[in-house]
Amino acid sequence: MNKKINLLCFILLLSACQKNEDNVTFSNQSSVIDGIKTYRHSEDGKPTSLDPIKAATQYSSFVVTNIFDTLYTYKYLKRPYELKPNLAQEMPVISDDGLTYTIKIKSGVTFHDHAAFGLDNNKGREVVAEDFVYSIKRTFDPNNRASGAWLWQGKIQGLDQWKADGADYNRAISGLTALDSQTIQIQLIKPYPQLTYTFAQAFSAVVPKEVVDALGQEFGSKPIGSGPFILDKFDSEVAYFDKNPDFRKEPFDIHYEGYDEAIHGKTGIDSLDGKNPPFIDKLEIHFVKESTSRWNSFTKGDEIQYTTVPKDKQNTVILSKSPLTLHPQITENFNYRYGMEAGFVYGGFNMDDPDFGINGDPEHDAKSKALRCAIQRSHNWEQKNRAFYFGLGTIFPGIITPSVSEFDPNQSYDSVTLDVEAAKQMLTDQGWDATNLPVFEYHVAGSVLNKQFFEQMRGFMNKMGYPLHLIEYHPYPSFGTFNKAIKNREAPFFFMAWTLDYPDAENTLQLLYGPNQSPGSNNFNYQNPEYDALYEKASVMQPSPERTKIYREMNQMVVDDCVLVSGLSRNKIHLWHKNVITYPDRQMLGGGHIRYVDVK
Amino acid sequence: MDLLKFALKKLIGGIPLILGVTLVSFLLMVYFGPDLTYEQLGKNPTAEEIAQVRETLGYNQPFIVRYGQYLMELITLDFGFSMVKDQPVSHMLAQSIPVSLQLTLPGFILGNLLAVILALWATAHRGQWIDKTIMTGAVIGMSVSFLVVIIAFQIMLSSRYGMNLFPVRGWNIYSADGTFSWWQYLQFVTVPTLATVFVALGYNTRFYRAVLVEEINKDHVRTARAFGHSQKHIMYKAVLKNAMVPIITRVMFSIPLVVVSGSLLIESYFGIPGVGQVTYDAIIAGDQPILKAVVGLTAALFVVILLLTDILYRAFDPRVELK
Repeated sequence: MNKKINLLCFILLLSACQKNEDNVTFSNQSSVIDGIKTYRHSEDGKPTSLDPIKAATQYSSFVVTNIFDTLYTYKYLKRPYELKPNLAQEMPVISDDGLTYTIKIKSGVTFHDHAAFGLDNNKGREVVAEDFVYSIKRTFDPNNRASGAWLWQGKIQGLDQWKADGADYNRAISGLTALDSQTIQIQLIKPYPQLTYTFAQAFSAVVPKEVVDALGQEFGSKPIGSGPFILDKFDSEVAYFDKNPDFRKEPFDIHYEGYDEAIHGKTGIDSLDGKNPPFIDKLEIHFVKESTSRWNSFTKGDEIQYTTVPKDKQNTVILSKSPLTLHPQITENFNYRYGMEAGFVYGGFNMDDPDFGINGDPEHDAKSKALRCAIQRSHNWEQKNRAFYFGLGTIFPGIITPSVSEFDPNQSYDSVTLDVEAAKQMLTDQGWDATNLPVFEYHVAGSVLNKQFFEQMRGFMNKMGYPLHLIEYHPYPSFGTFNKAIKNREAPFFFMAWTLDYPDAENTLQLLYGPNQSPGSNNFNYQNPEYDALYEKASVMQPSPERTKIYREMNQMVVDDCVLVSGLSRNKIHLWHKNVITYPDRQMLGGGHIRYVDVK
Repeated sequence: MDLLKFALKKLIGGIPLILGVTLVSFLLMVYFGPDLTYEQLGKNPTAEEIAQVRETLGYNQPFIVRYGQYLMELITLDFGFSMVKDQPVSHMLAQSIPVSLQLTLPGFILGNLLAVILALWATAHRGQWIDKTIMTGAVIGMSVSFLVVIIAFQIMLSSRYGMNLFPVRGWNIYSADGTFSWWQYLQFVTVPTLATVFVALGYNTRFYRAVLVEEINKDHVRTARAFGHSQKHIMYKAVLKNAMVPIITRVMFSIPLVVVSGSLLIESYFGIPGVGQVTYDAIIAGDQPILKAVVGLTAALFVVILLLTDILYRAFDPRVELK
């Protein structure tokens, strides 16, 4: 009898586990407890240091932009992205020659409270222009292992020399000065139209010298800024924040921020119009890598309230892909948006490689180009998109991504269109056959997913006659070692991703500029004097149709030379609970949208 | 006094063990661990910047100097700052080790205690259905992957797809006024503990049963039976007490792993900021200061455990001499 009861209990337990997902109802419990509004966000990766000068990952940057102020930020809802003043009073005043930027910052903005300020009740002091100058200097201090100096390297008068002279903080820099407590002046070596964008990045966030001096390296884990939230606790799983009660009062103007009833109407954002952000009292950012755990926590109702859809749940969430519609169960229970990343994935050739690159010998170069172009044409992007990105990726030719305004939808898509016969013909025309093809090495940071990418690409290449035994997988134990191999020019072909730092095609076009060759950002070691001349011409130009024309011309050169097998921009589905008012975006905006989140 | 001498002798004898472990592990970290240089550089580095980063990371120093620094850090218990987190290593460990202890101890104690009870029960009923059922259960527990058990328990007990009784993730064991709350602790620790016990029980029960079965066939047990002692008396006084040496060995040698290593899978899936998670992140990131601290402290703890184990042997078996 006892055994029968045990068996019955076991079956009941199993049946509880096997409840059909489709029948599960979700209830979003209130996020307001005892009048305190708490929003629990989730990210699928972890930040490292929270020191702005080290905010190189999207996860660090996300947290940093909530603690610190940058001079500029992007309008919350406006797309394409548009800059707006943040700590700055208005957009910079730029001299006619494009070399002098004058920026006024807001008065009355204070840092979070800290004993290092030496004021009564540990109050935070006012943010002044000199703080910005100090913050940029820190980026160039060799002792700090900063990751963002490249944004201003060789751009601001005297800054590189200041570093070379020993990074003495008491020494002034001719091109980076505080004219008075509220005015910053920057003098450039040559025009740099992207400069204002760089001041919207977490790298340029304003930090207080007293606190940095008091905490030393610990500043990266106990950050004090002037942003909308104050860090309370931070561990490997969660960062807890309190609302900054002294955050400046700036009423939320939904129309200025780019509100569009058709797009944002269902989010409830209009109810926040005219109110002063931040709207929540407490913010928790949970770092959840495990997709099952993230999904279970999200669907529970009283735990995390936002997630991107994990890959293994896309089939549960998506009803149809073209056009994209979500399962009614999902739309009934959650709000959602569908957003394209500001970046792309690509395969790149090392143009220094003896087999796949160029060496100046016309015969060799013609043969290697045929090889690269054949590999490019044999790549089945559609299949790759279906197999690995659930068909949601946006495929495009070259290196100007669809997320920037300079993207040309009318450019030829031949380079990303499968044509095995054309690929075979290219090889044959240059005398390539199975007996003389070189070994093709696929270099990548090792992972199961990357092995699958490799196997698929091997299949594509085999279809055009590349023998399987000549296509080799070269995994590295970490991204660092993989990156090291690339910087040392040891990888003939590599697969990786690039995330845009600012919404300007220059950010990807500089990846092929000759002087940026390895160990710089030109991992392809592409050297094309014509391309370089166009880059030098366009890089000092303000946005204009003429500059866009040059950008597109450069993009076509890269496509014609078959330097990359590119590209695809991934698309993500964002889900959030119905008791949360938000329109999440973790691309250019980083964590900047969190100040506009409200909960019910 | 003898005990003090013995303890000192054992601790001094443990120094070569610590040196060996730290040397091998440091060798592996330096020559085969991730190189952080290219992780910490900006997007367009120059050769000079690469050299600068290597210098600030200490990569440019000879191995022997770096190893010497490591030993000094171990002696002074000052492991400096994490290379990627900008936090003192001691602070990170002081925060995460207690969490791991609170998380793993219930499962560790229950897993061993229940296993001993089940093993005693199975041994007392050798060959009968009770024995067979317990052993079948043990094999099932051993056979199912820990990861599968964690996911299944999380879905079954915590998620909306199951019974929805406990939190899916987190470690909020303090009440609003900042004091420790038993109720909240139980909320967060129950499911991880059940998953740990489910898996540990299988291994432990099988091991303990084998030890007890070996003991039950010995002469003194037969003699005790001949004297007419009850089954309960025989199992506890004759069998269990004499089997304590291997049981202590197993339990004691698990302690350093429970204390310092934590449980990575449990911590990641349940969102618990324990030392397992900190160590795993450090391995992935190549964060040598944390790895050095964890390895060094584990080795030191092993030496202490060796000492305590010997003392405990003596407590359970007077024939064991402290020498």
